[in-house]
Amino acid sequence: MKKTLDLSGLMQSKVTWAVIAELLILLVCFAIRPDFFSISYQPSTGMLYGSLIDIVNRSAEITIISMGMTLVIALGGTDLSVGALVAVAGAIALKFLRWDVLQYTTPGDYTVCSYFLVLAVPLLVCALMGLFNGFLVAKGGIQPIIATLILMVCGRGLAQILTDGKQFTTGYTPFRAIGQGSFLFLPMPIIITIVVVAAVAIFTRKTAFGAFVESVGVNPSASRLSGIKAATVILIVFALTGLLSGISGLIYSSRIMSNDSNNAGLNFEMDAILAVVIGGTNMAGGKFSLAGTVVGSLIIRTIVTFVYYFGIVAEATMAFKALIIAVVIILQSEPVREYFAKRARMRAARLNGGAAA
Amino acid sequence: MKKLLALALGLVLVLNVAAYADVVIAFSQIGQESDWRTANTDDLKSAIENHPGWKLVYDDAQQKQENQIKALRNFITQNVDYILFTGVVSTGWDEVLKEVNEAEIPLLLIDRMPDCADKIEYVAAFGGDFVEEGRRQVAWAGEYLKSIGRGDEDVNVVIMEGTTGASAQTGRTEGNLKALESYPHLKKVGQQSGNFTRAEGQAVMESWLKSIDKIDVLIAQNDDMALGAIDAIKAAGKVPGKDIIIVGCDSVKAAFDAIVAGEMNCTVECTPLYSRFVVPTIEKLEKGEKFSKTVVHPEEGVFDTNGGIDLGTVKSIKAADVISQRQY
Repeated sequence: MKKTLDLSGLMQSKVTWAVIAELLILLVCFAIRPDFFSISYQPSTGMLYGSLIDIVNRSAEITIISMGMTLVIALGGTDLSVGALVAVAGAIALKFLRWDVLQYTTPGDYTVCSYFLVLAVPLLVCALMGLFNGFLVAKGGIQPIIATLILMVCGRGLAQILTDGKQFTTGYTPFRAIGQGSFLFLPMPIIITIVVVAAVAIFTRKTAFGAFVESVGVNPSASRLSGIKAATVILIVFALTGLLSGISGLIYSSRIMSNDSNNAGLNFEMDAILAVVIGGTNMAGGKFSLAGTVVGSLIIRTIVTFVYYFGIVAEATMAFKALIIAVVIILQSEPVREYFAKRARMRAARLNGGAAA
Repeated sequence: MKKLLALALGLVLVLNVAAYADVVIAFSQIGQESDWRTANTDDLKSAIENHPGWKLVYDDAQQKQENQIKALRNFITQNVDYILFTGVVSTGWDEVLKEVNEAEIPLLLIDRMPDCADKIEYVAAFGGDFVEEGRRQVAWAGEYLKSIGRGDEDVNVVIMEGTTGASAQTGRTEGNLKALESYPHLKKVGQQSGNFTRAEGQAVMESWLKSIDKIDVLIAQNDDMALGAIDAIKAAGKVPGKDIIIVGCDSVKAAFDAIVAGEMNCTVECTPLYSRFVVPTIEKLEKGEKFSKTVVHPEEGVFDTNGGIDLGTVKSIKAADVISQRQY
């Protein structure tokens, strides 16, 4: 009896449907080409090598950002500036690595400023920019979507100014390690993602902070009356999202060993919001699911990898992505979930009835 | 006193304009975008500013169409002598460019053709021949394979396209595919967009290396994607430039570095340096010569590891010999 009840609860959870969707996409991949799942060891890089590894590896940027985005959305807001912050982080890092270039010169294995600054300054600046967003929302009472629009628009411009509109390239090995290095046979971005997800999960679930976020997201006034400092919660969440965008920006620019102020993080805000929504967190705020968000981000990257791997023509790529996402969202919609939950209950009832007879 | 000062300043300004009023050339540029664009801007700006008797009015639109429309209307009000124009997008220029025509200011289109080009008057259009660039990419691969004795071998080619719908993508793809017909040994086994960026070039190549058993040649429609692909090829334990022949496009300096380092094989030029064609055209117009809708494709080279590959219209040049002269 208890078991079947659990099943109907499970069928009603959006996270379950996200996992089912991901498994379905992978199943289609497997049906077309079983070697999509092959993973081998690549001695020249010391890493595991395969499409599944690629999916997790390349989803790192979105997964990391969407950890913060999940909390922002749980507060009932959105952060549109994350993509621009990715560009800012890359621009600052490359500026510090290549302070010497006015004219383009061949990139070498060196850094002009200390490596500590190369990593710390972009992260600090992004966290401060996130804090600025939070300040506008918490103290200024501005709608998050408008408040973060400011940095979304001017962030990229700032990145352009910082690098004089140029694309710097570097060959500095320690910097390469962030996006292209490896640890325990896995690409470094995967390791960084695991650490970030674990840290955010512990921070929100092992402390009361997660409950504070959900409470503020549901009803800020009630939370304030019950003694939660809503403004502080909002400031922390936005600053954290800024910091995570910075980490994501360092990974992005390390993969290409250069800054790309026009394209770095382009549309990341949309992908991050999508990952959160697919993962089952409600845009209206309240309850959130970090695990669901991770699955959401994996789904997005699986679709992209599918397109590349099976050679979907470039013109149809967007339509194809939209189609799959539409199916996932419909599967998660209230009526569909209710229908399956009802069926599960009915089957349970019939089984129970059969047992009784 | 203040009013007097203002008057004096105003007079100085007027006189100043009068003193420079020989030939005023206005340039509406789309703004910073890439190294290519920076080189394009710097080249035209310095050529016009350093030309005796010419004055440049430059406007940086920061990638916004409304800024460009505003700038063009300002140029009309200032009654400049020539307008150089690169549109940030291809549509939506009909009205403002007709106003330019009505003001009878000669219009010179730089780099990009607006969609309304048939409906408006312009003196000349300067821009790369994207179809020819695409043809050269494939032709270089075909001729190079012949030169190393692999001319009769069946060879697998992947084409990494630019941003879908961009004029450089449509033109180069047309050129790529047309040229493949004249090299029957080159078999196309993949075609995908890498969006002209390093990051996506890397991701697309990464997937291709797993889904396609044997890739011999990569045709990347710009150098950035080729540079991204090089990292993916290395990560797969293959040697870029040897196991996989890489042909890029644009000829940015980073590509020259890669060719000299042996990690890339060839880059087909798409030059941003238009001043050597624009300046003589304006000089001729000043002398009273008439032009109408003249299309000027700048001469462009092909640069590779060893040079000397004959592509019919052009012969490739050894990259190492000219790398020191690259400005961008």
